[in-house]
Amino acid sequence: MDYEALDFYEIDSLLSDEERMVRDMVRDWVDEEVIPNIENACREGVFPDEWRVALGEMGVLGAPLQGYGCPGLSYTAYGVICRELERGDSGLRSFASVQGSLAMYPIWDFGSEEQKNHYLPKMASGEWIGCFGLTEPDYGSNPGDMITKAEDIGDHYLLNGAKMWITNGTIAEVAVVWAKLDGEIRGFIVERNDPGFTAPEMKGKHSLKASVTSELVFQDCKIPKDRILPGVKGLRGPFSCLNNARFGISWGAIGSAQACFHSAKDYSMSRIQFDHPIASYQLVQNKLAWMLREITKAQLLAYHLGQKKDAGNWIPEHISLAKMNNVDIALEIARVARDIHGANGILDEYPVMRHMANLESVKTYEGTHDIHNLIIGRYITGIQAFTREA
Amino acid sequence: MNIIVLLKQVPDTTAKISISSGYMDESTITKWSMSPYDEFALESALQLRQNCNGNLIAITCGPDRCSKMLTDAAAVGTDKLIHIHHEGYLDSIQTQTLLVAAIKKFEGEVIMCGKQAADTNSGSTGPGVAELIGASCITHVSEVKYENEELIATRLNSLGFEIISTSPPSIFAFDKGVKELRRPNVRGIMMAKKKEITRLTPEDLGVSLTNSNINLISQMPPSEKAPGKKYEGTDSIREIVSKLRDEANVI
Amino acid sequence: MITIIAENSGNILHPVTSQLVNAAISIGSSAHVICPGGIGAVEATKITGVNKVTSVLGDCFKIFDGSAWAEAINSSIDDDSNVIFTSATSQGRELGAIIAAKRKVPIIQDAISLDSTIKVTRTIYSGKALEEIQSSSKCVITIRPNSFDSAPQGNNAQLNTVDKSADLRISVKEAIVKASERLDVSEADIIISGGRGMGSIDNFAELESLADILGAAVGASRAVVDEWGMSHTMQVGQTGKTVTPSLYIAVGISGAIQHLAGMRSSNYIVAINKDEDAPIFNVADYGIVASWEDALPVLKEELSKL
Repeated sequence: MDYEALDFYEIDSLLSDEERMVRDMVRDWVDEEVIPNIENACREGVFPDEWRVALGEMGVLGAPLQGYGCPGLSYTAYGVICRELERGDSGLRSFASVQGSLAMYPIWDFGSEEQKNHYLPKMASGEWIGCFGLTEPDYGSNPGDMITKAEDIGDHYLLNGAKMWITNGTIAEVAVVWAKLDGEIRGFIVERNDPGFTAPEMKGKHSLKASVTSELVFQDCKIPKDRILPGVKGLRGPFSCLNNARFGISWGAIGSAQACFHSAKDYSMSRIQFDHPIASYQLVQNKLAWMLREITKAQLLAYHLGQKKDAGNWIPEHISLAKMNNVDIALEIARVARDIHGANGILDEYPVMRHMANLESVKTYEGTHDIHNLIIGRYITGIQAFTREA
Repeated sequence: MNIIVLLKQVPDTTAKISISSGYMDESTITKWSMSPYDEFALESALQLRQNCNGNLIAITCGPDRCSKMLTDAAAVGTDKLIHIHHEGYLDSIQTQTLLVAAIKKFEGEVIMCGKQAADTNSGSTGPGVAELIGASCITHVSEVKYENEELIATRLNSLGFEIISTSPPSIFAFDKGVKELRRPNVRGIMMAKKKEITRLTPEDLGVSLTNSNINLISQMPPSEKAPGKKYEGTDSIREIVSKLRDEANVI
Repeated sequence: MITIIAENSGNILHPVTSQLVNAAISIGSSAHVICPGGIGAVEATKITGVNKVTSVLGDCFKIFDGSAWAEAINSSIDDDSNVIFTSATSQGRELGAIIAAKRKVPIIQDAISLDSTIKVTRTIYSGKALEEIQSSSKCVITIRPNSFDSAPQGNNAQLNTVDKSADLRISVKEAIVKASERLDVSEADIIISGGRGMGSIDNFAELESLADILGAAVGASRAVVDEWGMSHTMQVGQTGKTVTPSLYIAVGISGAIQHLAGMRSSNYIVAINKDEDAPIFNVADYGIVASWEDALPVLKEELSKL
C-alpha cells in the first residue's frame, strides 16, 4: 500500500505551497532511497553516505538559516523536513537535526563573519558534516557542571575532556564543542584533524542503529584562537541550539508515529484470524482510533508551534511541551503498533520495532521527558525542581 | 531553440477512481500528479535545453488545479509556464487545436510530450499536433539528443529499437525514458514560487471551440471480477488461459 | 463502408487486420482495406466482409514514418467513408491519430467494443474504469487487438493498386534487434513469481522460459531470495517490491502475509500450488491445485498456441 500520511484534520492544507513542495520532495526521496535501504543500514549499523549527499543536493541542511549558502526556509518547512525524514528513520532525522540545528546554527548565530563564511556553505552542501559536543559521560541532564576544560595558552587553546553520545562524531569534519574557559561555558569549533582530538564510534546500540554515535575525546587538543565562538557565553549558547533541534524533533516524532500507524492499519486490514481481518475486532479498532487521536493532537501542537516560531513569539517552554508530548505519544504508538503486528512486529519486514527502539533514544535525548516536564513545572510554579538546592 | 513540453495533470496513478452519477468523481482525488510519461518528456526536454542552450516552455491545458503542476515543472528548471485554462471535456480535435495555437504563439520548434496520458490512455495528442503543425513525428521515444544540428531519437519497438534522425519542427512522444525526472531542490522550489504562470483562455489563442461530435455518455467502474475459482489438477489450464485472454484481457 | 488501414507484421498481414474487418461486420458494415506498402494485400482480399482492397505502393513505406504514410494513403480513403478503423497497436494508434488530424475528424483510441451507433467502450485510468463514448459523425477509431475474433476466410475481393509515395520526415540510422532484457518486476504488466515450492533456484529456469513467452518479469518470494541468493530486485513482498501488474502468476508460493502485501493489488492472480489449503488461493482469481512440474508444461503449451 502506498504511504498515506495520516492527516485527519488536514493540517497540511495549511502549509504554504513552498512548504508543500519541500514536503513532497523529501517524501519522494525517502520513498525511493531510504525505505528500500533502511533495514539493511540498520542491520549493518551504518549511516549510508549517499544520504548525506542527497540531503545536501536537495538543499535541506540548516533549513531555517538565512544566508551563507543556507536554505532560508521557514521553521515550519524545517519541521516538515524533519517529519518526512523521521517517517523514514529517526537516525536519518538525527543526522539532519545535528547538522542543521546543533552544528550549523551555533556558527550562524554566535560565530564571526569569517567562521560563517568558512564553515556554513560547505555544511549546507553536506560536504562537511558537523556534530555538537555538550553531553559528557557524567553530565547529561546537568550540562552546567560539565568538566571539559579549555585553557588559553596564548596563541592557542588547549582542550581536555570527553564528550559522549555525540551523533555524527566519528564522521564529522567539524565539531562545535562546549567547554569551560575560566569556569565559563564557551563554544569552540574543533576540526577533525586537530591534534589531540579523536572521535571513536560507540558500538552495541539497540537504537538509532543507522546513525553514527560517538565519543569525542580531547587530550591536550590544540586549536587555534580563531576557533572560539565569540557571540555567546554560558549555557544560553548550547540551549539555543537545543531549542532549535527540539523544535524539529517535535515534528519528526509525528513522522515516526505516522509510519507506525500506517503499518499497523495496513497489517490489521490484511491479517485474517478467526476468518476476519483483525481490523474488524473492537480492541484493534480502539487502538487505531487512539493512535489517530494522538497523532492529530500532536500535529496541531507542532503546526501551531511552527507558526509561533516563524512569527518570533515563542518561549523555550513552548518547545519543551511539543517535544515532550509528541515523542512520548510516538513511542506509545510504536509500541501499540508492534502489538497489533503480533509476532510479525518483531521482524524487520515491518518498521515498527525499529521505530520503537529509536524513539527510546529520542525520548531521552535533547532533554529527557522528565526534564521537559520539570521545565514546564517551573514555568507554572516559578519553582525549579531540578535540584535539591533552593 | 524553443523547446516546448506538453504536460497533463492526472489523478496520481495510485489514486482510487470513484464513479459518482455516471462520471469519475474528481472530488475524491486527493493527489494530482504530472502524467508519468510526461515526466520522462520533461526530463529529456531539460537535458536538451541544457545541451543546445535553448528555452524551455511548459504548456498545459486544464482547470485551475493544473497550475500546481506547472510550478513543479518550474522547480526543476522550466523557463516559461503556460496554462491554457479550460474546464470540462475536450475531444481530440479541440485539445490539439488549443495546443497548436499555443505552440505557434510561442514558436515551438521541438515539442516533447508523453506517449499517452495516464487518465485517457489515448495517445493522440503527439501525432495529431505533429500533423497540424507540419512537424515530423516520432513516438515511443526513450531518448532524444541534439547532435550536429540533427535531432537523434531512440524509438522503441517490439523487436528492439531504432536510432532515428530528423530535423525541426519535430514532435517526440515519450515512452519510458532512459532517465527519470530529476528531483527538485530547495533552491528550485523557492525560485519556482516566484515564477509567473501565463494564463490564457481559448479566446486569447483565437480558438473558438465548436461543438464536438463526440459525446461522453458515461464512465463506470470496471466489470466485477467473478469470485476466485480453484481447480484440481491441470485440466483446467486451457480454460483458464482462454479466460485470461478473452475475458480478463490480460494476455 | 468502413475504411480499415491494415496492420503489417514485418512483410505479412498482421492478424489484427482480420479482427478489424470482423468489427466492421459486427456493426453491419463492409470494409475497404487499405494496405500501406501493399503488405498483405492479397491475403486481405480473402477475408470475408472485405468489399475491396487498395494496395498503396511507394518508397516511403520502407520504414515507419506516420506522417509520410498518412500522407500517402489519405487520398485512397473514400470521402463518403464515415468511420476509419486502425488497430490499437503502436503503429496503428500513431497512424490513426495523424489521419484523424489530417482529415479534421476526432479519434477514439483503444476501443474494446462498439456498436452500429458508433458507441464505443474503452478503458481509462489504466483499466481502473471504463467509459462509453459516442461519435455522431466522421471519426477514426483504433481497436484493441483480440477484442474481436478474426473474420472468416473464403472471400475474393477486388484489389486495386496505386502508386503514391510521400516525403519522409525521418530517417533510420540504425535498427537494433535486441533480445529484450528481462523486465524488472516493478515495470512489468505480467509477473511470474516463484517461491519455496519451486524446490531449487535451478527450477526458476522453467519460470523464465514461461516469462519469455509472455514478455513477463520473473519475481520471487522473500524466502527464496534469502535462501537461494537470488537478486533482491526480484523480491515481491513487504520488504521487496509492491507490484500492481495486470496478471500475477504465483508458482509454489504459499501466500504468507508478507508476500501478499506486495502483490494482492494485482489485477488478476493465478496461483499454482500443490497444497490446496495454501493461503494464496484466498486471493487468486484462478487457482490450480497441482505441482509446478505438472502445471507449467501444460501452461506453456496453451500459451504458445495463442
